[in-house]
Parts: sequence; structure tokens; C-alpha cells
Amino acid sequence: MDQTTLQSLEKLNQLRLTDAEKEAVLAFFARQDKEMAVLDAIDTERVERMVHVMPILTVVREDVEKKLFTRDELQKGAPETMDGYWQVPRLVE
Amino acid sequence: MKKIVLDDMMLTKALPTTAGSRMLEGYMSLFDAEVVERLTAAGYEMAGKAQVGEFAIDLVGETAYTGTLTENGKLTAASAKALENDTVKGVISLDVNGAPRRIAAQNGLVFVKPTYGTVSRYGTVPVACSGETVGVLARNIADCREVLSAMAGHDDKDGTMHADALCKKAADGCEKPVKKVAVIKMEADADITAELEAAKAEMVANGIEITEIEADVLSAAKTAWNILMCAELCNNVSRYDGIKFGYRTQNYTTIDELYTNSRTESFGALLKTAILFGSDVLSTKNYMAKYDKALRIRRVLAEAFGKLFADFDAVLMPACSKPAYTETDVKENPYIAFEENRYTAPASITGLPAVVAGGVQLVGPAFSEGALLDLAALLVKEGK
Repeated sequence: MDQTTLQSLEKLNQLRLTDAEKEAVLAFFARQDKEMAVLDAIDTERVERMVHVMPILTVVREDVEKKLFTRDELQKGAPETMDGYWQVPRLVE
Repeated sequence: MKKIVLDDMMLTKALPTTAGSRMLEGYMSLFDAEVVERLTAAGYEMAGKAQVGEFAIDLVGETAYTGTLTENGKLTAASAKALENDTVKGVISLDVNGAPRRIAAQNGLVFVKPTYGTVSRYGTVPVACSGETVGVLARNIADCREVLSAMAGHDDKDGTMHADALCKKAADGCEKPVKKVAVIKMEADADITAELEAAKAEMVANGIEITEIEADVLSAAKTAWNILMCAELCNNVSRYDGIKFGYRTQNYTTIDELYTNSRTESFGALLKTAILFGSDVLSTKNYMAKYDKALRIRRVLAEAFGKLFADFDAVLMPACSKPAYTETDVKENPYIAFEENRYTAPASITGLPAVVAGGVQLVGPAFSEGALLDLAALLVKEGK
């Protein structure tokens, strides 16, 4: 992990780190890289991935429309709304 | 009425849910988590909420945006404090990275992390969905068992649940009592080692056969869980952008500034690191070498436990390295939670049940909670 890659990760995740945070994060990444040796020592070439720890069955529900919440209720927790819409800064100049 | 406290990862209509993050300060859910509905229907009163660390990935709650709780220089947990009130039967906690297990071990409490898929996660703040489990922290085994029994059961709203009979069997049943226990050798300080020795002696006194074993493969659990947990967390917290709910910065003119400043100002250092690490292991460059590798390691670990449980009924191991953490521990190593989880990651990554009691951790095959709780009762001499 280098500064440039870290910078692109910050951008991708909409975060901005201070210099001190960057230093700590780079140290964390270095440590995790070192620990990969423990995983790499285990041969997994013929091992299947295990995404779920249990068999996952698709839950099928009746195709019935349910109105759980109103728009007003859904917008109750919004930082800013206007006329029933979520308000954001102007996107197009 | 029997009172229950919820850790702040459970959505509630009546109280704010913050997940320990400034991002969700004051957030009011429109619905209750399934466990809240079940416990209410079973006659429990929701007495309040206990502070958690930001998105429950830290040691014992020290990264909560409201501040670190300490007592005599040692880190303490709100859930443990809640149980000092005798009228509180239990605290419902989301075990993401082992925090409730460490809290139980360090405070003389009991925690049951049930088999993955036996208690609904509907209405819990999602972090690492493939391994996190809703469990019960209590003063004793009986309370733990009673509360678990009330909340376990199939829920159609959670797509990762076992059939109802299996969920109930896990919570209530004990078809096969524990007779043979494998003790995993792991480094820990003198106090924790003494607790393990006491547990071993109690088992022997009760006619349980114990065998000390080396299980080197389990050392891979921590690194693999760190990868999977952070990858899932990174995706789950991408929804927090300051638009539809949660914290919004006052310092923006463009949409990018709104997103970035909202997240930067409201997320803590540990969470930011976990997000960046999760994003990195999912990148094209690292996906196969890290994320895919960790998924394969999960199967290796599940199979290793499977082999172990062919010969033994349960595993005894520490839940943490020391009897208490200090602020200095966290200051010296801000990522200590991602080291200390070497004791808790084996059960987290495989979805196996674990019970912490008497300062030690018992892990068993899927659906063996009942048997683990019986064994734990022997260790703490409950009912004698």
C-alpha cells in the first residue's frame, strides 16, 4: 500500500484522512499484509469458497403490494427536504 | 415485569439508534427489530439502550462517539454496567467482532452467541452480515437461556435463517451432553490462564474428559475474519452519505463535498481504517489474493472444526488475552480489536455457537448452545 493507492481508496470511499490518520492506516495495512503469510501457508487451491456458513434458501413471499411507510415517515430522518423531496446541492450548473 | 436492555445496534421505534456513530446521532427507526418484537410479545419490557463502540467492531465499546467509558483506568462497557441493575434480565448484543464475549469474560458475566441463523437479524444495524449474530449477555446461565429461548426462531424477514425447529432446538435442547472437551492452547496472560486451569479442573471433577490440543489452523481465523468483516462493513456503511438520513455536514457546496465531509466528520478512526481496508481487499488487484482466499479459509476452518467435533463435544479456549483493557492499550495500538479477535474470530467466521462464562469461552458444533450452557453452568457452579 502506498500513498497514491491510499488516496484513491479515500476518494472511492468518500473519506479524507489527516496525515496522522494516513500514517496509522498505512501501518495497519502493512501489518495485515504481513499476516497474509498465515493464510498463504494454507493450500486452498482445491478448497471451495464458503460465502455463507449455512445453506441459503431464497425466501419467497406472496407478490402482494404492501405500503409499510408513507413518504413523510421515510423523510422524517432526512437532514434536509423540500416539497417532499430529499434536498441535495445543485448537480448541474 | 422482566426488563431487557438492548445494545445500540438494535433498531427501536421508541428510542434513537446510533450504532455508536455520530453518523446516526438521533436517528429514529420506523420499526422495531424482530428480537424486540419477540421479547415484547414474551412479556419483557425494553428498559433502555446500552452504548456500543462504533458499528460494534471495537474491543468493548471504547470507540463510541459519545466517549470511552472507564473505571479506575480500565475500559468498561455500558452493557456490563446495565447488568449491575438487578431488575435487568439481560442485554441483547450484536456480536460482530467478539466485543460482547470479551465484555462477559472481563466482567464475570455470561454471553451466549447462538448458532448463526437461529436468531433473526432483521432490524439490527448491518455490519458483517455473514458472521454477526444476536446474542444475550446476562448475569447467569439461567437468564441467558431464558432470554435466548424467547427470541430464537425462524423469521421470514431474515433470509439467513434455519428452519424453526432447528432454531428452537439450539435454544432449548440439549440432546448430547458434553463429555469430551478439547482445550486449545493459546497464549494469554496469567489471570486468563488461571481461569482456564480452573475451568479444566472443574470439568475433570465432573467427569469430563479433557485433551489439550494444538490447532494451528485456527490462527488463520483472525486474519480471514478481518478481511471478510471489513469487506462487508465497507459495503454496508456505503449507505451513510448524509442524504436520506443521518449526519450531514454544514461545510459543503458540491455534492462530492457533502458526501466526503459528512462521512469524514462523522466516522471515527477505527471505522475509517476498516472501510479502507475492506475496500482494498475487494479491489480488482486484491480480490482473489485476499477476499477470495479468506472465503476459502472459512471453509478450511469449518472443516477443521468439523473434524474436531467428530472426536470432541466442545472446545475450551480463552475469550480475551487479559482480564481488563486500559486506555493505554488502545492508545498504543488503535487496532488492538483486530488482534484480540484471535480468540473470537474462529466462532465468528464459522457461525458456530459460543458461550462465555467464568472468564473462558466454550465453542461447540452448530445447534449445541443448550449443551454449552449446561457445561458453562458446571463451570460457574450454577444450580449447585
